[in-house]
Amino acid sequence: MLKIDEIKELIQALDESSLTEFTYEFDNEKIALKKEVQYKEVQSAPAVSPVLEPKVTESTKVETHIQEESTQSEAQPEYDYEITSPMVGTFYLSSSPEADPYVEKGDKVSSQSVVCIIEAMKLFNEIEAEVDGEIVEILAEHGELVEYGQPLFGVKTK
Amino acid sequence: MASTREQLITLLSSKSNTFVSGQWISEQLNLSRTAVWKQIKQLKSDGYVFEAVPNKGYRLVTIPDKVSENTLVWGLETKWLGREVEHYSSLDSTQTLAKKRALEDGHHGLVVVADKQNKGKGRLNRYWESDHDQGVWMSFVLKPDLEPSHAPQLTLLTAVVLAETIESISNVTPQIKWPNDLLLDGKKVAGILTEMQGEQDQIHFVVIGLGLNLNQKNFSKQLSEIATSLCQHTTHSYDKNAFIQAFLTHFEQAYDVFIQHGFDQVRNKWLTYGFRLNETVSYQVGKKAKTGQIRGITDQGALIIENDQKQEYIYSGEIDWFKEDK
Repeated sequence: MLKIDEIKELIQALDESSLTEFTYEFDNEKIALKKEVQYKEVQSAPAVSPVLEPKVTESTKVETHIQEESTQSEAQPEYDYEITSPMVGTFYLSSSPEADPYVEKGDKVSSQSVVCIIEAMKLFNEIEAEVDGEIVEILAEHGELVEYGQPLFGVKTK
Repeated sequence: MASTREQLITLLSSKSNTFVSGQWISEQLNLSRTAVWKQIKQLKSDGYVFEAVPNKGYRLVTIPDKVSENTLVWGLETKWLGREVEHYSSLDSTQTLAKKRALEDGHHGLVVVADKQNKGKGRLNRYWESDHDQGVWMSFVLKPDLEPSHAPQLTLLTAVVLAETIESISNVTPQIKWPNDLLLDGKKVAGILTEMQGEQDQIHFVVIGLGLNLNQKNFSKQLSEIATSLCQHTTHSYDKNAFIQAFLTHFEQAYDVFIQHGFDQVRNKWLTYGFRLNETVSYQVGKKAKTGQIRGITDQGALIIENDQKQEYIYSGEIDWFKEDK
């Protein structure tokens, strides 16, 4: 059986690769990983180099993944509120490996929004933002063990 | 105050080795003979089986295995847990519905039970086979006045209560694989999933879900290596209603003691069921693979592993429970 860390490694490898799907089958066990490829929508910028469509090679379909980091770096990581962990546990950005993250950088949240899960002793604690604002920084890593009171997100409330 | 039906069932089950007359019942319950007859007719339609002999009366032969909101609540002697029950013959997941109810202001003690689940889930939304009516699939809502950091203790409490319920019903003693999986002969018989929503210093709600393999006679090839049922283990089948009621009654008592007196008692009981206590296991914290001896649990519920004479407290991590280490 695949260990959770092996799965995490697979996810990381997939994240860093240009693949969008990965399926592994062995001995009645199957794991299928998929990622949503986000294309930057360019509407009026005239001088954008066209997205290259690489040739489909044998069985692997490769799609170009445009990083969104350049647009995000404009948002200043200045925040006036920190969402902290109410307990020791593992920090998860999504409810399951297949699910989308609860929030991403730049998302607007309200006080009731669930922003992440902290797991301790198999209790899954859905953490609410507790303030209205914008997530400007994610301060912990998915899968990381966090301490009581450790900052998890930076929120700009104004 | 128990309803007429509950009183009737209690009365009849206490006399199940003898016949009682309609006259006698109507005197005991202060009801007309017609009312008694109507109640019994209703019970029959709910699956209760009576032996009726002219001039002797009735004898209750079978209490139905069929679960319904009524059968679950009848005879249930709890104060708050399960006073409100929702039962479905089929549901995607009791946990998902109970969470929805909790968000909609569902009460402390609300119980959701399904005969079968189409999308039964374990932690990290892992699939839990429950698409049949041979097991107990239920979730319940708690709104404890407890510090969020103490909430994980509730999963250990649930595991202890479930172990005790199994013991009281079947006379077999399960083991608890930290924090909350129940095993018989090293195979999983029950799992618990606890989800919570709250703020820094306040719990909005906790939903505890449990899946218990009760009457399965066999499992798919894939599962038979790792799963078992109470029936498979003891070669008896069990009354699902009775099991759920016993669990709820037991949980309510244990929960009230826990809220009043804290985790100590739970911890001591937990240790009597602990799987691989004082044995060596491989485990992983973050990216480091280690080995150490399991020494118990802390007053928080964290697993204590001793490694090079140092004790490490595990709140969250992967432990290789089934690999033999010497």
